[in-house]
Amino acid sequence: MDINNFIKELEEEFEEVEANSLKPETSFRDLPEWSSMHALIVIALVDIQYDVLLTGNDLRSCETISDLFTLIKKKR
Amino acid sequence: MNLIDLSNKTILITGASAGIGQGTAKLISELGARIFITGRDIERLKKTFDSLSGTGHQILPADLSEEKGIEILTKELPELDGIVHSAGVIKPFPVKFIGKKHIDEVFDINLFAPVLLTSAVLKSKKLKAGASMIFLSSISSQHPYQGGALYTSSKAAIEAYCRAVAQEYAHKKIRANCISPGLVKTAMFKETMNAMTEEKRATYAEKYPLGYGEVKDVASAIAFFLSDASRWITGANLQMDGGLSINHL
Repeated sequence: MDINNFIKELEEEFEEVEANSLKPETSFRDLPEWSSMHALIVIALVDIQYDVLLTGNDLRSCETISDLFTLIKKKR
Repeated sequence: MNLIDLSNKTILITGASAGIGQGTAKLISELGARIFITGRDIERLKKTFDSLSGTGHQILPADLSEEKGIEILTKELPELDGIVHSAGVIKPFPVKFIGKKHIDEVFDINLFAPVLLTSAVLKSKKLKAGASMIFLSSISSQHPYQGGALYTSSKAAIEAYCRAVAQEYAHKKIRANCISPGLVKTAMFKETMNAMTEEKRATYAEKYPLGYGEVKDVASAIAFFLSDASRWITGANLQMDGGLSINHL
């Protein structure tokens, strides 16, 4: 598992986000595009790519993309 | 005289281990029905069982997502005066990620289980003439929400199916009706709320002039549809949503 890969996957799925604009320290909820739909997209992506089931609470407990990545690794 | 008298009626409730199924079991036992409750979680079914009034009720654990589970359950059932199909799952999933696995997960329980159970009880003649079947849909089958593609389409399908059953079995006086609630305070409700931002939660609450539904509100409507007070109603879909659709949709 590699965080750079994860970031690439997020950028691809978010569509509105430009390539190479996300960093491990990015607070994903502060992105101007962020909406409840994006939360669903993260949950679905993580389910499919990493076979990890995140809850809404899991997502809320994370601030940055790096937090999110650490949580996924822990739950795997 | 009690208009909604269910004494001498034997009713099967699926998904009785939680939410609307659980609340319905409790209420209709108070109205005199003898109840068979089914679900996957035996511990939680026991809790429902302990909340029931009257005697003669039974727990029949079964996994309705498998045909074998339906077959075993049907064999164990007595002749029924009614079925409440309240087992259901909700799994928010964005459209572009939906795969066969996710369709199966939602449709197995929300559509295939009630359809196959209906076939099984009809084939084995376990539904008495005059029996009543209630299918649980949702207001969201008509009014979608983001991430709800699978849930809402499974509910739209059950509505159409219910009307077809009503038509085919009217000659036997077997009735089939749907109930489409808005948001009702259950564990599923908590999940839905958890998935929303605080802002969205507040605007959502405002859309319900009569507030969110309680389990008992839906259970009361189910009791009516099970009773002879509704003997002239079949193929209907009762939308109950605290005024949501008159106000904002």
